[in-house]
Amino acid sequence: MRAAKSAYPLRWRIMDAMEAFAAFIWPARFGRAIPWLMLAPALLLVGLLVLGLIQIGDASLRTLDTTTFLMSESYTFANYQRAFSESLFAAIAWRSLLGALIVTVITLILAFPYAYVMVRTTSSITRKLLLIALFLPFFIGQVVRAYGWLIILGNQGMVNEALGLVGVAPIRLLYNYWAVLFGLVQYMLPFAVLMLAPALMAIPEELEAAAGSLGAHWVATFRHIVLPLARPGLVGAGLVVVTLSLTDFAMPAILGGGSQDFIANAIYDQFFRTSDQGLGSTLALLLVAVGSLLVGLVFTVFGAGTLAMGRARR
Amino acid sequence: MSEKSEMSLMLRRRRFLQGAATIGGAAGLSSLGWSSAFAQEPEKPAELIVRAWGGSWMDSLKAGVSDSFTAKTGIAIRHDLTEDNEIQPKVWAAVAQGRVPPIHINWDTTTNATKSALRGVTEDLSDLSNLKNTTDLAKPVGLDGYPIVNTYGYVYVLAYRPEAFPNGAPKSWKDLLDPKYKGRIALYNDGIGFHFPAQVAGGGKLEDIPANMQPAWDFIAKMKEQQPLLGEDPDFTTWFQKGEIDAACTISTNAREAKKNGIDIKWVVPEEGAKFDTDGLWIPKGLPANELYWAKEYINHSLTVEAQQIWLDGLGLPGVVPGVKPPADLVDDPSYPTTEDAFKHLIRVSSKVQVENESEWFSKFKAIMQG
Repeated sequence: MRAAKSAYPLRWRIMDAMEAFAAFIWPARFGRAIPWLMLAPALLLVGLLVLGLIQIGDASLRTLDTTTFLMSESYTFANYQRAFSESLFAAIAWRSLLGALIVTVITLILAFPYAYVMVRTTSSITRKLLLIALFLPFFIGQVVRAYGWLIILGNQGMVNEALGLVGVAPIRLLYNYWAVLFGLVQYMLPFAVLMLAPALMAIPEELEAAAGSLGAHWVATFRHIVLPLARPGLVGAGLVVVTLSLTDFAMPAILGGGSQDFIANAIYDQFFRTSDQGLGSTLALLLVAVGSLLVGLVFTVFGAGTLAMGRARR
Repeated sequence: MSEKSEMSLMLRRRRFLQGAATIGGAAGLSSLGWSSAFAQEPEKPAELIVRAWGGSWMDSLKAGVSDSFTAKTGIAIRHDLTEDNEIQPKVWAAVAQGRVPPIHINWDTTTNATKSALRGVTEDLSDLSNLKNTTDLAKPVGLDGYPIVNTYGYVYVLAYRPEAFPNGAPKSWKDLLDPKYKGRIALYNDGIGFHFPAQVAGGGKLEDIPANMQPAWDFIAKMKEQQPLLGEDPDFTTWFQKGEIDAACTISTNAREAKKNGIDIKWVVPEEGAKFDTDGLWIPKGLPANELYWAKEYINHSLTVEAQQIWLDGLGLPGVVPGVKPPADLVDDPSYPTTEDAFKHLIRVSSKVQVENESEWFSKFKAIMQG
């Protein structure tokens, strides 16, 4: 008896043909390479970054000849000597590092309750409002936000106008270190909340309820249950905030009044103001090194937090 | 109106515009003084890209040079507002890699342009016909030929709010050390414009530049105690307008711009003097021959009295072509020097000395201000 035509429909035949074609192009014995194939675009991207770093490394070993404005043919460590010996770079490096640490601590302190309320609230309106407030700044670029602060905190800004209403003379709120840190905290807050929220969501609510039912005050519950279990989120958020703050350019440039440069501003100056690509490259590599060391230190002491790779240990 | 008659009107209008453009172009070419106006011209590009500073700077260039060039040649001008410092590495890289550069003409500070000339990325402009009508100011000092053509000069004046100086205009840069101006002064963030008068105000001599500039650094260190704001051209205008500062060492154009916007502001050349410098136009190497030709003609056009008059009226700066009249508000103004006597109070150091030492001066200034 002939099989019914519908027993092996046309689309199956097409699928068979496609499978045969795929097997011809990518035989089964290549199966082990599939993960690498999927990784290829990312590896290509990382490879390009590494190539860029090699070029920057090469440039960092060349000095600028100011009679021709060409880089030297020979290699030298002169740029590294300058970077380590000139007080300007030490002052800027210290300011950047200290600033990044202060911003990280303050941001985590502010982000934690925000993320906690956003995750735990039973009111969908509250959650939506918090989410909107969280995502709104992402639609406004960092530079625009910094200029917003100029309008709000300037001598003729809203804050000083409000102070004027109660008889307080205008106060210089901008163009100092604290203005830069304030701008950075405001910029980093949404990043930190986004990193913390998944970690807080992973903490079973029942654990907190159980602690409460056993007589634990909310402070004790927070200290012994929530905080330790939220550590991966805190570490992940901290790492993101500290690295972004350390390498920030716009906030120090706009809110610092020109006298509160971070390392990125110093690198810009070398590349674009004095045309010294060698020294600029040296500072860029040192920034990468300092950032990597900092991240490595955090990994060593606290673990990788939510940035941890591999399967969870059992 | 029928479709056909509409079409006919459009065609007539288009033909009229073409005719007008041809007549205008021919008239323009003759007024440009090009000897080859009626000779075989290279093919015209659709547009030329001119790097420029934004705001009133670009508006003035457009009104004085670009629009009239377009009217005369039919070539559109696009103004690229990439910062001068940021376009430089892009142009250098393009020339080094044998690519067509991203701009046709760079409007640049002479110091910056000199770096490009020393690197060998600038076209020689010695054959521009209008150069013969220019003053010595057009010629870059310390360079062979014309890798750059200086188009005007400017002064880094001491601009101030009269309200903050009730006893009259400041006479010296040292007046800014008065404690009441703490946090109310602005300088350029690399100290440009301030190094040389600081050398004099610090008790040093201009002849000692660049060998011994310790007096300048000492004076700048004193100025640092005043916690000055450090910025760039647009910042000064904004800061004056927002009431953030009482005085600044800035190019007179920025102060004049704030004044135009209704701010009560004046400026002086203090007794120690003020830095005088120039800006210019140059063309990067690597352009196709026809585009190079028309880029040169753009610069040639910028050296006509008509173009300079409108361009520099906007900027309030003295040009390089005799016959350009100062704007009414700048007659006998120290920021608009036209006589030998006026130049005596101004400090001019060759671009070559500036270029060779700029990096070190910049670092020193930064080290003091960032410390």
